[in-house]
Amino acid sequence: MRRASKGWISVIVVVTFLCLIFLMPTFLGDSLPSWWGKVFPKKGLRLGLDLKGGVYLLLGVESGNAVDHELSGIRESIVAQAKEKGILLRSVTADGKSLTVTLFSKSDLKKTKELRASYADIASISEGNLSFTLTLNDAFIKQSMRKAIDQVKEVITNRIDEFGVLEPIVQRLGSDRILIQVPGASVSDRQRIINIINRTAVLEFKIVRDTAPDKATLLAKHNIDTTDPAQMALAKKTLAQQNLALYPGGDDSRANEKFFLTDLHAGVTGKYISDAKLSFDSYGRPAVGFNFKGEGASKFGKLTGENIGKRLAIVLDGVVKSAPTINDRITASGIITRRFTLDEAKDLALVLRSGALPVPVKVLEERSVGPSLGRDSIAQGRLSLIAGGVLVLLFMVFYYRVQGVIANAALALNMLFLMGFLSAFGVTLTLPGIAGLVLTLGMAVDGNVIIFERIKEELRIGKTSNAAIDAGYGRSLWTVLDANITTLLTALILFWFGTGPIKGFAVTLSVGIVSTVFSNVVVAKVISDFIYGSRKTASVSI
Amino acid sequence: MYPIYLDLKIDFVSKMKVAALISLALILIGIASLLIHHGPNWGVEFVGGTEVQLKFQKSIETDVVRKIMEGARYPAESVQQLGLPQDKEYLLRFSPDVVGFDKIELFRSGLNKLIAGNGLFRGATVQRIDFIGPQIGKELIRKAFFAIILGWIGIMLYLMIRFEFSFALGAVIAIIHDILITLGAIFFLDKEFTLVVVAALLTVIGYSVNDTIVIFDRIRENLGKTQKIGFRELVSESLNQTLSRTILTYFTVLLVLIALFLLGGAVIHDFAFTLMVGITAGTYSSIFMASAFVIYWRDKRASSA
Repeated sequence: MRRASKGWISVIVVVTFLCLIFLMPTFLGDSLPSWWGKVFPKKGLRLGLDLKGGVYLLLGVESGNAVDHELSGIRESIVAQAKEKGILLRSVTADGKSLTVTLFSKSDLKKTKELRASYADIASISEGNLSFTLTLNDAFIKQSMRKAIDQVKEVITNRIDEFGVLEPIVQRLGSDRILIQVPGASVSDRQRIINIINRTAVLEFKIVRDTAPDKATLLAKHNIDTTDPAQMALAKKTLAQQNLALYPGGDDSRANEKFFLTDLHAGVTGKYISDAKLSFDSYGRPAVGFNFKGEGASKFGKLTGENIGKRLAIVLDGVVKSAPTINDRITASGIITRRFTLDEAKDLALVLRSGALPVPVKVLEERSVGPSLGRDSIAQGRLSLIAGGVLVLLFMVFYYRVQGVIANAALALNMLFLMGFLSAFGVTLTLPGIAGLVLTLGMAVDGNVIIFERIKEELRIGKTSNAAIDAGYGRSLWTVLDANITTLLTALILFWFGTGPIKGFAVTLSVGIVSTVFSNVVVAKVISDFIYGSRKTASVSI
Repeated sequence: MYPIYLDLKIDFVSKMKVAALISLALILIGIASLLIHHGPNWGVEFVGGTEVQLKFQKSIETDVVRKIMEGARYPAESVQQLGLPQDKEYLLRFSPDVVGFDKIELFRSGLNKLIAGNGLFRGATVQRIDFIGPQIGKELIRKAFFAIILGWIGIMLYLMIRFEFSFALGAVIAIIHDILITLGAIFFLDKEFTLVVVAALLTVIGYSVNDTIVIFDRIRENLGKTQKIGFRELVSESLNQTLSRTILTYFTVLLVLIALFLLGGAVIHDFAFTLMVGITAGTYSSIFMASAFVIYWRDKRASSA
C-alpha cells in the first residue's frame, strides 16, 4: 500500500482536531466563550495539590455507630406513632442492635401489632409478656452503615462548600473512607477546616434536672454509690433507668455547675433547626443564633411552654454549652452564648446549618502543601519537560535524519493526543504526573527506534527503500505491541495501588503508552508514506 | 546513517557467567547495606508519623538540623537531604508520639519561631507538612507488596501466552534481578524508601520487560527461520541484531532521566536516580540474564531428553 492510507489520515486529522479542542480549557481557562461548555468538555487539566498547594485529608468513618443512630430514629418514630394511636408506652430502651418497647397492658400490646409489622423487613420482632423487641437484621445494618457514610459525605461536602474555598473535592473511597481536597487552602485555613470536619455537631435541647460542682456529688444525690467502682461503671445505665443523662458543663460554666443531669431524651434536636448564624449577645460578644420553623418551632414551643421556670440545657457534642432559664414559651429562635472568638462562632453556625454527622470521623492522613512548593514544582516540571523534549528531538534528527524528523513530528502529535485526552477527562496533574509525561517522551522514541532499526536491516539485505519501509513497519508491529502492553500492565497496576501523586504518574504513563503506540505505528507510517509514497525509487534518509 | 551494528558479532553468551557473578556481587553489597543500616529507611507513608519538607535559605548540614530540632524538643526520627545539596531541601520525619495529629499546629508555631529567630533556620520555608496515621502505613506496605507481585504474575501470564514458558521464566528472573539491584543501590545509599520508590520499581519492571521482549521477539523470529545453527549461536546473533536498538533506547530514556534528575526538583531527583539505576540493570539483565536463562533451560531439556 503505497499511497498513505486515506482512512488513517482522516482518523489522525479528526483526533488532532479533537485534542486541540480538549486542550482549549486548559490554556484559555476563564477566557473560554460561554457556549463552550454546552458542546465540548470544559474541565481542562486540573492542578494537583502538590502543584497548587492546599490541604488533603483522608477521613475514616466510624460507621459502627450507625446502629445507634438508626435505633434512635426508630425510637422517635415509634413514640410518635404510639402517641397518635393513643397508646401509652411504659419505656423504650435500646441495647446493642435491639430496641425494646414495654407497655402497660396486654391489650396495648395487641394494639401495637400493626406498628410492629411495619418494621418486619428491617428487623426481627419478638414478643414478651408486656413488651416487644425489634432486633435489626444484618442486611439492614450493613445498609445503614453505607447510608451513614453517604450522609457523612453530604454533611462534610456542605460544610466545606460553605467554608467558601474554591473547588473543594469530597470523594468517597471504598467502604469507609472519605477523601477531602481543598486546593489553595492556606495554613491558617487548615486548623479551621479540621475543626469544621471533626465536629459531630449533635445539638440537643434538654431540661436540666440537677447540677453540682463535681461528678461524685451529683451521682450520690441520685442513688449511685460513688465509692463503688462497679456502680460507677454502670452509672450511665442506672441514670438512664431514671430517665436521666449526665453531662459536663463547658470550660466557662459556673464553678458550682460543672456537671449537669438532664432528661435522658431530647425534646428537640439540632435537626429541627432551620437556620443558624453568627450573632452577637447583649455584650456585643460573638454568639450563635438559631431559628426554628414549622415542626421544629412547635416542638420547641412545646418544650419551653411545658417547662417555664426550669432551665434548658443546650448540649453540643455531649457538653452543656449553656443553660438559660426558660422564662417564656419560645418558638422561633434562640442563641448560644459562650466565650466564642469570631471564627469559632462563624464555624459553629456553619456546622449547625449543615447538619450533624450521624457518626464520628477520624483523620487518617493529612497533607498540607504550601503555595511556594507548588510554584517551584510547576517551574521545575515545566523545565524538565522542555529540556527532555528538546534533547530527544535533537537526538532523533541527528541520528535518523529525515526519518528522525518524521519521528519528531509523530512525537509532537503524540504529546498533543496525550495532553488532549488528559485534559478531556479533567485529569489532575501532579509533579510525578509531569515526570510521567517526560518519561513517555523517552519511551515513545523506543517504538520508533525498533521500527527504524528494522528498516535499516531491510535496506542492508538489499530491499528497495519503499519495500524496506513497509517491511520495517510490518515486521516490528507485534514487537512494539508486546513491549508496550507489558509496560501498560505495570502502569495500570500502579494506578490501582497508588494514591494521590503516584496515581497522577500512573495515569499519564498509561495514557502515554496508548497514544505512543498509536503514534509510532500509525502516525509515523502515514507521514512517511505521505513523503515517500509518490516517489518510486528515492532513497530513504535514515 | 550511523550504524552501531558493524558486524561486530560480540560473543555475549560466553560472558554470561561473568555477568552473573558481577550481579551477584552487587546484590550482596545491597543486602549487606540493608543489614548494616538495620533495615530499610522507611518513608513516612509506611510507618506513620509527621513529615515536614523544609527549604532552607542558609546552608546547613544534616546533623545540625537534627541537633536544632532536638533542642527545640522535637527529636526527629530521620533527617534526609533531598535532591542536590544546592536545593537546600530537607525532609524531617517525626514519630506520631512526638508530633501527633493534634499537635501539628503547636509544632508549626514552634517551627515558625525557629524560622523567625536568628539561627540557621532563619528564612526557611515550610514547604509541606504531612501526617500519616498508622493504619494507612500498614495498609500501604501490604498494597505495595501486592502491586509488585501482581506485576510479576501479570507479566508472566502474558509472556506465557505470547512466548513459551522458559521465556516467561527468563523474563521474570531478569525482573527479580533488576529489583534486587535497584533496591541494593537504595539501601547502599540509605535513601528513604517511599511510595515514590515503589512507583519507580514498578516502572523499572515495565522497562525491563519491554527490553527483554524485544530480544525474545527476535530470538523467536530467528528460530522460525533457520534450523542450521545451534541455539547458542542463534541467541548470540539475535542479541547482536537487536544491540543497536537496545543501546539507543537505553540512551534516549537516559537522556530524559538526566533532564529530570538535574531539573526536576528535589523529589523527582530521587525518583530519576532510582530509575537510572533501574534501567541500567534492566538493559543489562535483558542481555545477560534473560537470554542466558533461556539457553540454560534448553540445554537442560536437551540433556535430560
